[in-house]
Amino acid sequence: MSQEAENAFVIEGKMALPYQYFAGATGSKFIVALRDEKKILGVRCEKCGKTFVPPRQTCERCFSDLTDAWIELEPTGEVTGFTVIRYAEPYQPVTPPYVLALIKLDGADTPIAHLLDCGDLANARVGMRVRAVFSEERKDNILEIARFEPIES
Amino acid sequence: MGDAKSDQELIVSRQVLSIPQRFSTGPVMGRFLRELRDNRRIMANRCPKCGRHQLPPREVCAVCHVEATEWDALGPEGTLRDFDVVYYASPDPLTGETRETPYVLCWADLDGTQGDAPLWHLLDPADLGRVRRGARVRVVFADEREGTTGDIKHFEIIE
Repeated sequence: MSQEAENAFVIEGKMALPYQYFAGATGSKFIVALRDEKKILGVRCEKCGKTFVPPRQTCERCFSDLTDAWIELEPTGEVTGFTVIRYAEPYQPVTPPYVLALIKLDGADTPIAHLLDCGDLANARVGMRVRAVFSEERKDNILEIARFEPIES
Repeated sequence: MGDAKSDQELIVSRQVLSIPQRFSTGPVMGRFLRELRDNRRIMANRCPKCGRHQLPPREVCAVCHVEATEWDALGPEGTLRDFDVVYYASPDPLTGETRETPYVLCWADLDGTQGDAPLWHLLDPADLGRVRRGARVRVVFADEREGTTGDIKHFEIIE
């Protein structure tokens, strides 16, 4: 081996990134309702006639304060778009391949992104009717909804 | 936030993400790290034109822009040039663990150095009470070395 090749080598390392995420007052109420009551909460701007899920503190259209504009939604809705995740990397909620879908809950005007378990990946369809399945374990995050599943028709 | 809401449960998510990385040393930095690991020597390279050392070494002299092909072992003793006493408990980027505080970072001019090339490293925590500019120091190597700058454990004050 040449001297140069002996001197050039690879160091395996890792970088740790500690972080804290604060859900805030509105986000916390949303998560706690999922966890403790198995309820999906949103907020409704009466001025614009729009219902936001996940909830937000301020209407994105008219900037009205929505702090106390809570409404409860049904755990059912419709797939408005989806993608198939095939690339495995750390910190994924489930093992790929899996479907990540945009789901507009009945009565909501904004979709939420979540896992869709429809069996065979090829079954995923825009317009599919789905229902939220709540987690058995305490998660303290959006995975209080474990996944969405198709509603048998 | 009004007082009426102050007893609301607020959600905080705390995580340490661990990201694997690979660092290719190249032949010049690689020689520096290999000498630390295998021979407990601190090698700097020297510009053939202006004679200044570079520590850690780099392929080309930053001043003359010619290849720095000569190598010298420096130290392991030297003179402490300056230091920081750090009280902020920053996380260790390699483990995510919070460091013990206070700790001392220092810059020392190793014996034999030509030009401006101090070595930057930790000082032995036991020397915190007597650190001063101009103190004589010695490099202490780690018992287990793996070809990283962690192969130097720290400086210790020797007078």
